[in-house]
Amino acid sequence: MADPIAHPVGPARPAPAPARAGRREASERRLSLLLLWPVLGVIFAVAAYPFALAVRQSLSAQTGEFVGLDNYARALQNPLLYDALEATGVYALLVLPTEIGLGLGLALLVHRMIRSTAVKAVIFVLAVVPLVVPPVAVGVIARLFYAPGYGVINQVLMRVGVIDHEIGFLSNPVLAMLSVASVDVWQWTAFVYLVLFAGLQTVPRETTEAARVDGAGGWALFRHIEFHYLRPLFVLILFFRMADVLRVFDHVFILTGGGPGSSTLLLSLYLYRIEFKFFDDGQAAALAVTVLVVVSVLYSLVIRVLPVEKG
Amino acid sequence: MSVPGSSFSRRLAAIAITVGALVLAGCGGDSTDTSTSKPSKITIAAVQGNEDAALKAIAPLYQQQKGIQIEIVEFPYDQLFEKLVTTFQANAASYDLVMMDDPWMPKFGTGGWLTPLDSTFGFQRDPDIPSIVYDVGTWPPPHGAVPPAAKGQEAHLLGITIVGNVEMFMYRKDLSDAPGSWDDVLANAKKFNKGNMAGYVVRGKATNPVVADFLPILWSFGGDVFDDNWNPVIDSAESLRAVEFLVKDLKSVAEQGAENVDAADRSRLMAIGQAYQSTVWPGEITEIVENESVSKVGGKVGYTPIPSGPSGKGFGMMGNWLLGIPKASKNGQAAADFIKWLTSPEVQRQYVAKGGIPSRLSLLNDPALNEQNPYFAALAKSLEAGPNWRPRTDQWNAVETILGTNLNAALAGQVTAQEAVQKSAAQIKDTMSQAGYYG
Amino acid sequence: MAATLLRRRGRPLAWLVLGLTGLVYLLPLYWLLVTSLKSKAELYRGTVTLYPHAPTLEAYERVLVERGFWMLLRNSLLVCGATVLVTLALGLLITYPITRLRASPRLRQGVLNRALSLRFLPPVAVVIPYFAVVRTAHLYDTPQALILIYSLFNLPFAIWMLKGFLDEIPAEIEEAAYTDGGDRWTVFRRVLLPLAAPGLLASGIIVFTFTWSEFLFALILTATPRSQTFPVGVQGLVTQFEVIWNDMAASGAIAMALPLVLALLARRYLVAGLTFGVIREK
Repeated sequence: MADPIAHPVGPARPAPAPARAGRREASERRLSLLLLWPVLGVIFAVAAYPFALAVRQSLSAQTGEFVGLDNYARALQNPLLYDALEATGVYALLVLPTEIGLGLGLALLVHRMIRSTAVKAVIFVLAVVPLVVPPVAVGVIARLFYAPGYGVINQVLMRVGVIDHEIGFLSNPVLAMLSVASVDVWQWTAFVYLVLFAGLQTVPRETTEAARVDGAGGWALFRHIEFHYLRPLFVLILFFRMADVLRVFDHVFILTGGGPGSSTLLLSLYLYRIEFKFFDDGQAAALAVTVLVVVSVLYSLVIRVLPVEKG
Repeated sequence: MSVPGSSFSRRLAAIAITVGALVLAGCGGDSTDTSTSKPSKITIAAVQGNEDAALKAIAPLYQQQKGIQIEIVEFPYDQLFEKLVTTFQANAASYDLVMMDDPWMPKFGTGGWLTPLDSTFGFQRDPDIPSIVYDVGTWPPPHGAVPPAAKGQEAHLLGITIVGNVEMFMYRKDLSDAPGSWDDVLANAKKFNKGNMAGYVVRGKATNPVVADFLPILWSFGGDVFDDNWNPVIDSAESLRAVEFLVKDLKSVAEQGAENVDAADRSRLMAIGQAYQSTVWPGEITEIVENESVSKVGGKVGYTPIPSGPSGKGFGMMGNWLLGIPKASKNGQAAADFIKWLTSPEVQRQYVAKGGIPSRLSLLNDPALNEQNPYFAALAKSLEAGPNWRPRTDQWNAVETILGTNLNAALAGQVTAQEAVQKSAAQIKDTMSQAGYYG
Repeated sequence: MAATLLRRRGRPLAWLVLGLTGLVYLLPLYWLLVTSLKSKAELYRGTVTLYPHAPTLEAYERVLVERGFWMLLRNSLLVCGATVLVTLALGLLITYPITRLRASPRLRQGVLNRALSLRFLPPVAVVIPYFAVVRTAHLYDTPQALILIYSLFNLPFAIWMLKGFLDEIPAEIEEAAYTDGGDRWTVFRRVLLPLAAPGLLASGIIVFTFTWSEFLFALILTATPRSQTFPVGVQGLVTQFEVIWNDMAASGAIAMALPLVLALLARRYLVAGLTFGVIREK
């Protein structure tokens, strides 16, 4: 039963010659420690030092004196934080189902309807394109579509006569959120498609044919056979995309900067605003530390469910 | 072959370390600037857009005359402020000269990041330049409210104006007379708001743009952001009236999507004949509205100082761009020389020819120059009348973000004017209190 | 019955859906290209034109030469290239013991897990403390600061990818080399490395593509064209004080060109790249 997820059978280790097995093992172990520990140690130090700095900054005032959990309290009392969390939540609810639904639909469509390998290859190439366009460039493209005055959507609609004045894609809070979400969907649906399509490829042809012969319709086919192969992939996609929603920054920064007001002030943008617009080091550090801790905790919970190698 | 691994590990580690070291050392490294008396290059951090166009145009002349290369690094408005603060905090020598919007002076002055131009480089006040222009570059400010932390400090000149901006008013003089008051403005707007043309263009984009557009209106109506003790009075009756005037009256005769319109769009609308009147910065005039290659209304636009409001006066607003020298710069003397060169009368003439905005009265009142730049007379009048400047607080950026976000929300119809001013007052109070303004 | 009916009737419908999807994806790219080829005067017209009436490369020339973006391109190439080298070198240093030597399984699992967790961290939460470090170490506005943090962020990815590739190389090949009398170093250099080369190349290309697009750290940690990367320049053109949409579009097009070409070259490994090597094309 082919499995799209790489489950290696474990590290490939050259078997030692029987005569020198013991010495080989010992020297190997020593070598591995010699290589690993210094490197890991340096990396850990490089990663931990900023974290320690951040913790210290989160416990200090602008002047440097120790103020305990004051910054954390202020961070929690800031009403903008809840606007940001709400915006992030709305964004996630918009993009995740859409991307998964569209990606799945397209994957099923191509898998079932398209026979020609040439066409599939072309589709594959097309799917790769949105994933590697730099988010700043995608932001620029989005501006060319949605911006007031020169946005091409408005221009075309007005020219054709459907509307008589501009739609405020970036000035209306609801539309602004939809606009930034649409960019995300444009870019990442392809990811869902590629992953699920690879998954569908692993469904054995015989099983599908047998089911069809038995009279299974499209939906039943999906529910009983294909879904079984895709389920771990769904989990994976869900978690990767959710993590990405927390990290989203570039295209929203370019498109709306968090506005209008705070309707598209996603979490990353919120942290940016606190640190680089309000220059509130303490509060920003408190937020950063909190986010890092929460993400780490969530990650250790999630990793058990993720279909990855556990060693 | 007793320990076959050790040589292996040594080699592998050696390679990795060499690669790493080469990479880290090989690219750039901290340029060891031995401070010679004459550097080969001066770096200026400037604002992207119309405001630095003249600076960019005149810089090659300096290179020709003095042999020092001028590197201009541009950033959009918001980012320039952030970039300057982060660079100052990092105490980096990245910039020798910084272009600053005058409301940023308090933060830079309080932070002690700029070299005093008077005591260190011997700059003195030139009578040809209105004293208010020097005042705006002085910290602590010679008049108006002073932050408690700066009271009693010795005043120093920290920045010299290179873009003599005072916010003015533009209108289609081929269609009507100059408005004398904001009531005239509204009446004209209602008359001409039809078809393709917007009666008044509201520059409503959040934070800096909308606040810049709004403050002259606020002051003309008798309102203000702070009182003399830094208590917010943005929720006073006069202030509320001004806000309502903006988000209700002017909005009703304004262009679509005002909440997202910034200066460039505003001038563009004027330039293609789709706007009747608006406030305007001189930079937009030279680069867009009166620029023949892009404007359809050249010669049809009139310029006046800000119309008067219920307070009886019209208050222009200063928006000077100044050049300052960061303390961390290694080329201070060369930077000071550049400023002196740029503001000298002869160079200023050429600067004007390239679209620069002078602050020398001799140039503003020059009849020949007035022919080419019809707004010079209005600008001179505005400067001499004593325009207002934005509150001199190092928290201005935060205050502007708060006020601008709330105004923008009111413009978008998300909140009422009342809610906007109340929220602003509360948030501003909190910010100022955190910063220690109330003792 | 319904299934076969759907299949026959459905085919033109499928083509329609695919065609529309293709359009939705290609139209924005078309528009970017078209806008980048317009002249300034054309932008100032009252109505927007759907194709450039007098296509010109003036925007590209202005962006690269007048605005000096060629320096940013150079910086991007430098930073990304260096990051690839550092990441692959360190990645090998870590995955070799894990896959070839008797590193304890717990260590292996620990390293892999911790590595994967970095994929989930919001960069903005990291940039705030990292900026403080950069300040103290006087690394502000240097390429080194970027290379360092990019390597840190991409190392986990490199570890996972290289682990996967190394795991696939059968032990017997090396074993044969050992019995032929080779020492570990020679076996590594002459046997393992050539076999792993495609994997190294693929990982390198993907790391390059990811770091090329990086924006946030570059925005905050650089100040002058000495170290600014191309995405910073692109964002800088999105300004509302001037109407420079054609320059903006040109810079976007340039930013897109290189990663597009690279990704098409390494497309077989792209999904692996995006899922950290969890999903691998066989």
